[in-house]
Amino acid sequence: MTGRGVAIVGGACTDFGVRPLTWAELAQEAGAALFSAVPGLRAEDVDSLFVGAAMPERFAFQSHVAPLAAEQMGLRPRRLLQRTELACASGQSAIRSAYAAIASGLSDIAVAVGVEKMNLPSMAEANTSMACVMDRPWDGPAGATAPPFFAMVAQRHMLEHGTTAEQLAAVSEKNHRLANTNPHAQFFAKRFSREKLLGLPIVAPPLRLGDCSSMTDGAAAVVLVADEFLRRFPGPVAWVRGSGQYSDFHNLANAGSLTDWVGMKLAAREALRQAKVDVGELDLAELHDCFTISEIVEYEALGLCPPGGGGRWAADGNSELGGTLPVNLRGGLLGCGHPLGATGIAQAVEVYEQFASRVPAARQVRDPRWALVHNLSGSANVHSLMVYERGEAS
Amino acid sequence: MSGARPARPRPRLETAAVPPPAPERTGDAGAVPFLLDFLPLQGERDTRLARFYERLKAGRLSTTRCRRDGTIAWPPRTACPRCHAAELDWVDLPSTGTLYAFSAVLGGAPLGMEAEVPFAVGLVDLDGVPLRLFGRVVGRPWTELAVGEPVAVESYSTPDGRVYYRFRAGASR
Repeated sequence: MTGRGVAIVGGACTDFGVRPLTWAELAQEAGAALFSAVPGLRAEDVDSLFVGAAMPERFAFQSHVAPLAAEQMGLRPRRLLQRTELACASGQSAIRSAYAAIASGLSDIAVAVGVEKMNLPSMAEANTSMACVMDRPWDGPAGATAPPFFAMVAQRHMLEHGTTAEQLAAVSEKNHRLANTNPHAQFFAKRFSREKLLGLPIVAPPLRLGDCSSMTDGAAAVVLVADEFLRRFPGPVAWVRGSGQYSDFHNLANAGSLTDWVGMKLAAREALRQAKVDVGELDLAELHDCFTISEIVEYEALGLCPPGGGGRWAADGNSELGGTLPVNLRGGLLGCGHPLGATGIAQAVEVYEQFASRVPAARQVRDPRWALVHNLSGSANVHSLMVYERGEAS
Repeated sequence: MSGARPARPRPRLETAAVPPPAPERTGDAGAVPFLLDFLPLQGERDTRLARFYERLKAGRLSTTRCRRDGTIAWPPRTACPRCHAAELDWVDLPSTGTLYAFSAVLGGAPLGMEAEVPFAVGLVDLDGVPLRLFGRVVGRPWTELAVGEPVAVESYSTPDGRVYYRFRAGASR
């Protein structure tokens, strides 16, 4: 890591789900929640704003959303104002942009907010928006969307490694169960047994409805601060200690192995190297479970289990609270829903609140020090990772 | 803004004798608005890869190969992704391949494709070249497809005259 130290000093999420409100109203709600969650935060101190939003043009027919979000949140950024778009990783992209701005000295106190309004009157229109994440003129005409792509990952994983539908269901059951500790989650207070999950309709074979994250409306925001401004925010902080990113293809023809995510391995190696920490030292991880099979392949890419062993690793309980490495304790994308721009920021909020011991006891890791956040985007062609360490401002 | 920009030399992409593409703009009569339509405009006024579609109309799936380093790229290019040379040749691709992976869209299809549900999609290793292309798989329902089975490449046309490729599985196994 170079430059100034940067830490998250607080954050907040709106409720995730099918929400009866607009994109702008979500941004406004996230702003109000942020100022309520971070008592030391004054609007005039926020010099920069980064807005993670994947497709407001498609989902809300609105471009130029950075000043819109600023106005909704009651902010007047005077140094850096920009929207970050990286499909499903747009939220983390906002955080890493704020991190870069502060580390470089261009910003002192920045807000990263993620907003996505995905539920539209026409489901087909929403699906069209999701499909334009892929290589539109080349893969699009065949009907390429995320579910059939990740279904092929699952098919190859089953073929090459013997992974089973029951192991996929184990991931889904875990994340849906954990979402019951999170009142903001789309599937809060909804129970899914493995048997029930295995009986849900097939969306894209072999993936069933419970293997797929949802279309979700939601927003989340965090405050990032340079080390010399931390005294304004006494209490626990989450230091950004490392970040790594890798992009190795876009068109599906250039994906290479569907089951060995080389780009994630490279990005993880870089993020952990910067943080000078080993994967075995992590206390919790937020991994991008857009589909059950994603979380399984991600265990393997992080080296938590042997190649091909991710299904068994999950089914054996290694990623539960109290297991080898607790994964997606807030409920993951499967349990919380996946508002594209908000997801990466909601994951960072979870890390902060775990560090601050502010989550319900049912999902609180005891004395966590290191956390890793991962987002993939598109067809797992881009991997973005960040490593956080707990600290204390005084 | 002032002054005319100097004309940039256009890379020579064509070596085979192929009739030039029709000059008129294509695709304006699609069933969905252009910006919600996955099949792109394909004429010479729309894309520098119009040759790809012209050749496909004649039943030839092709792509570009770099004259300098031999890279065969997908999708076709106007500059080599490896050495960035602009001297590229069109090469025909094999018309047969092997199904590497497949799935199907049983719901949640984009606009314009709802009537085609359920449909199968897959990744196909083309015979004899290191290319694994994604595409629609027709010929048999997804429930009867198998990884490793041979498929054929074919082209198809839309009512408004645009063209694309897809894979056809054998009538029975």
